[in-house]
Amino acid sequence: MSIRMIALPSTALALAGLAALGVGSAASRPLTLAASDPVRGGTLLAGIPDNPDHLDSALSYTNEGWQILQATADGLLQFRRQAGSDGVKIVPDIATAMPTVSKDGLTYSLSVRPGVRFSPPVNRAVRASDFKFAIERLFRVDSGGVGFYTGIKGAASYAKTRKGGISGIVANDKKGTISFHLTERDGTFLDYLAIPFAFAVPAGTPDKDVSTIAAWRVGTGPYMISGYEPKHGVTITRNPNFKQWTPETPDGYLDKIEIKIGVTPQNAVNLTANGQLDWYFEPVAADRLTEVRARYPKQVHDFARGNVTYFDLNQRKKPFDKLAVRQAVNYAIDRSALVKIFGGQGTATENIIPPSFGAAYRKHDLYPYDLAKAKAMIKQAGVVGAKVAVWSHNTDPTPKAAQYMASVLTSIGFKTTVKTVDESVYWDTIATQKGDPQVAFNDWNQDFPEGQDFIDVILNGEHITNVGNNNVSNTNIPALNKRINAAKRLPLGPKRDAIWAQLDEAFMRQDAGWVPFLNRQVTRFVSTRVNGLVFNPSYFELFPSMWLSK
Amino acid sequence: MAQQVAARRRPGPWRLAGRRLARNRVAIVAAGVFLAIVLACTLGAPLWADHVAHHGPDDQNIQGTVQVDGKAVPVVGLDGTPIGPGWHGPYLLGADANGRDLFVRLLYGGRTSLIVGLGAAVVCLALALALALPAAYFGGAVDSVISRLLDLIWSFPVYLLAVALATSLAIGGFHAGPISVGAGSLWLPVSVIAVVFVPYVARPLRGELLALRRAEFVEAAVAHGAGPLRVMVGELLPNIASSALVFFTLIVANNILTEAALSYLGVGVSLLTPSWGNIIQQGFSSIVTAPALTVAPGIAILLTVVSLNVLGDGLRDALDPHASSRTSFDERAV
Amino acid sequence: MLSFVARRLAGLVAVLLAISVLVFVVFNVIPGGDPALRLAGRHPTQDNIRQIRKDWGFDRPIYVQYGDTMTRLFLKRDLISYQDQTPVLPTIERGIPATMSLAIGAALIWTVLGVGIGVLSGIRQGRLADRVLTVVSMLGISTPIFWLGAVLLYLLTFRFRDSPFFSWIPSGGYVPLTKDPVQWAAHLALPWLVLSVVSIGFYSRVVRSSLIETRSADYVRTARALGLSPRRVLLRHTLRTSLIPVVTLFGLDFGAAVGGTVILVEPIFGLQGVGQYAQESVAHLDLPPLMALTLYGAFFVVLFNALVDIAYRVLDPRIRVG
Repeated sequence: MSIRMIALPSTALALAGLAALGVGSAASRPLTLAASDPVRGGTLLAGIPDNPDHLDSALSYTNEGWQILQATADGLLQFRRQAGSDGVKIVPDIATAMPTVSKDGLTYSLSVRPGVRFSPPVNRAVRASDFKFAIERLFRVDSGGVGFYTGIKGAASYAKTRKGGISGIVANDKKGTISFHLTERDGTFLDYLAIPFAFAVPAGTPDKDVSTIAAWRVGTGPYMISGYEPKHGVTITRNPNFKQWTPETPDGYLDKIEIKIGVTPQNAVNLTANGQLDWYFEPVAADRLTEVRARYPKQVHDFARGNVTYFDLNQRKKPFDKLAVRQAVNYAIDRSALVKIFGGQGTATENIIPPSFGAAYRKHDLYPYDLAKAKAMIKQAGVVGAKVAVWSHNTDPTPKAAQYMASVLTSIGFKTTVKTVDESVYWDTIATQKGDPQVAFNDWNQDFPEGQDFIDVILNGEHITNVGNNNVSNTNIPALNKRINAAKRLPLGPKRDAIWAQLDEAFMRQDAGWVPFLNRQVTRFVSTRVNGLVFNPSYFELFPSMWLSK
Repeated sequence: MAQQVAARRRPGPWRLAGRRLARNRVAIVAAGVFLAIVLACTLGAPLWADHVAHHGPDDQNIQGTVQVDGKAVPVVGLDGTPIGPGWHGPYLLGADANGRDLFVRLLYGGRTSLIVGLGAAVVCLALALALALPAAYFGGAVDSVISRLLDLIWSFPVYLLAVALATSLAIGGFHAGPISVGAGSLWLPVSVIAVVFVPYVARPLRGELLALRRAEFVEAAVAHGAGPLRVMVGELLPNIASSALVFFTLIVANNILTEAALSYLGVGVSLLTPSWGNIIQQGFSSIVTAPALTVAPGIAILLTVVSLNVLGDGLRDALDPHASSRTSFDERAV
Repeated sequence: MLSFVARRLAGLVAVLLAISVLVFVVFNVIPGGDPALRLAGRHPTQDNIRQIRKDWGFDRPIYVQYGDTMTRLFLKRDLISYQDQTPVLPTIERGIPATMSLAIGAALIWTVLGVGIGVLSGIRQGRLADRVLTVVSMLGISTPIFWLGAVLLYLLTFRFRDSPFFSWIPSGGYVPLTKDPVQWAAHLALPWLVLSVVSIGFYSRVVRSSLIETRSADYVRTARALGLSPRRVLLRHTLRTSLIPVVTLFGLDFGAAVGGTVILVEPIFGLQGVGQYAQESVAHLDLPPLMALTLYGAFFVVLFNALVDIAYRVLDPRIRVG
């Protein structure tokens, strides 16, 4: 359920060189630019290369969409609107307090804060049933987020019938309470209530994408989307119905955000340098970064982000059915060469979990670069000369990474080809058993900051499916599956984190179905007047914190 | 018969054309340039790779260094910027992001582009003749059906068609009975380009053939009981050979441009095979830090295409000095 | 004449229909193009996918789906994209001003420059000017335009950005004519040039050879013999006749530009016109906008083909077009 960036047209990208994502220091440090006090007012001129996928919290599943929605809508809970590791903690948003959890860990009860109102033209106050409605609506609009909520009692049958509501969500509008009954304990349920899929949606909203339907495109945040013309622009203005209800849900400083659609990364750099653009949704065009860093050092910012970039080795396909072969590939890859291909924008890794996850990340060094050893292992396994296809999407610099992988595989004795498919089709193609890639480029960006989103979602063999399969390597080690299932039931905290860290190493040692190589980061280039940049790992850059100096 | 007798006495039309061409200095220079490019890409490529650069076109050297003025310079910098052009043997024009020698790739890429250009031209011309000959010979319903088919391909936005075909073929390859083309095969761009440009050749050829069909010598052959195939191949075909030849050079030029455009759209030649088009496509993303990766293959294309176009122009003048105007073939779609 | 026009228009509709069927079929058999998977997001349940097939009608026979798409495109006018479920037709409409500004401006440039160079080249046949101009137009014909666009953009907006000659050139985007005519032209200057380069080269070649041919035609020689001034002959007789092929070409080229070539030019400059929409949709294998855009593109190509045939009959009554 990894969140994606919007899929961009290949050529616009190639040309514009939106290549490596971000850089810099691995540590996620909170960033405070403000030397003076924040100023209220002003219009932020923002740019984005293509449409944000959706401006409907049920459907949006990209950085860009979430980043807009976090400023215009709220859920019962939220990740603290802070940068880096401070932004991992979950706090109440529209709920009056954190949920009370029943002893068996299966029931979560919350109260809805009175007086929070939807933006015009809906205007009315948020009710408990709006949250129930929002989650049920996910199933009716075929949302990509339904997977997070199938653990609620009655959700599975509701997915089929779409009638009678989800029995496991009980909302009482009079008392303003809502409770969720789960089929199994799940420590990350709190995370599920904080991501945009669970944001309040006024009951009665039609069962279709409301991105372009102003009457229903409403929310509760300090801002509202007052205009959206696909391929042209999005206008965000203050929500007149917003009254700050807790310090954790801050009011914004900006009066208005004008997002121009269709600004290429290359053009964004030029416009920002000229002061015609304040802020851009995507990282700095890779081949401009060195220049921009040198010329405008104060306007470039690096942010950590929960990402791991890797290759899958499909163990249902020869020759990768052999553990030794998969380990050999891990030895044969020079990870620092791949970092160069990604413009040096990130840090090399062989872990599954990214470093920004705190205790769940424990660095291991099982596979130092050793080409000779890899060659010997391949020979010993008797698979020299096997045919191998490396799959890649076409967004730069991924094809280059795939070509590097191909050259490595050739050098250890395989016959290698590369297949490239447009990014918008690629993820579906590698996620079907029919597509069946042997080696596939892959990356995973956190949906929420918890080890489960990596270890369980991707590598638990019980989740392997024919279609929409995240476990592209088809990793399935029953003993480890069991440990994952046990860890999932634990409440969030250090004990859980420690298990994820152990499993990370266990998978790389016993399975090696992955060749992780990079933790990418985000690099931004902003105009001189932008202040207050706060990069939250889940909601991305927070619009309400930004302000413009005069 | 009378024609053949005459041909023996006076220099033949081909020989005359040859003489006229030889007088056209610009066309001769163009032919020379094209020949030089072909030689460099075929014979020159391995020689340069083995003896000067000491790198093959696919040898990646991301972590390596190269000696420049006695100093070791990394082939690819830490920020991913490759070494630029310089007058050193290896990496004459610099390297690409994967640390491959640009000049060597240009030479080998030229092979691919020329193969695609020539191959697609052969296929395209063959298809065009296969459609135009029966259309002109039989006329009537056959002609109508073929003409409408050509209209259809003609009206279909070229790049959408090419992209649609190339994408579907690139994922799964093409399998129909005994014919099987694997994904990544050079046959894919060749056939896509050939099909797309068939109407551009078939239409004018059909027009010319229609006129020929009514010519006396053709009617005479038919009257003598010659079968359709015999008339088409024996009488009609030789008489449009000169037009076909002119078309051929122009289509090759056009195909090389199209290969580049398709690669630019990401659906051309498979990535592991260097071609001028995909070298440009991969170089675009670093046009600021490594402009040579975009500029050099573009100039190679420009040179090749100009030489072919000038040569084609010269050939037409030579073969048909009274040509009413330029043939209706044009490259506006590229 | 009327029946001819009617037949051409009927043919136009028939070709468009055939094209729409072809596009629909091709994009339905593409492996990896299954829109249900895309709509389901990255971690779909089997139920979810089945449900999407049902909701969006992907489980129905392909001809029913085709009919539905065409109905939504032409009658209900509420077609939405698979990629982000945005309405297709309003998006195309919003793109038209940029695309038309680009195409019409470029057409003006290529006609004026192409004819100008051609005439100059023709009346100076064989001299130095002719030679130089011939090389120039040959270069124009042989340029990969997407490459030219990228290189120009790099040179003028990055490499020499600080030079006073080029500092006015914006690095992309579109400004509506109604908002700021000067910026409109500034933003379109490079795209116009890039889109017209091939046609400039081509027209000048055509005009040149046509001019040379007409000059040796009997009636022109007669006019000269009758003592008309060379200038008068050139303007009144030669030029008029030798421009007939230009009319033909213009129709075909303009149709092809609006219906196709803009695909290559718009994305480079981020003009957000119809061409860029087409290029993005094709990259995303997004069938609904592709259907609309292909028909839109083919419409222009076919329409201008038909107009050329009609114009031909009007201009030159000797020609009988079937």
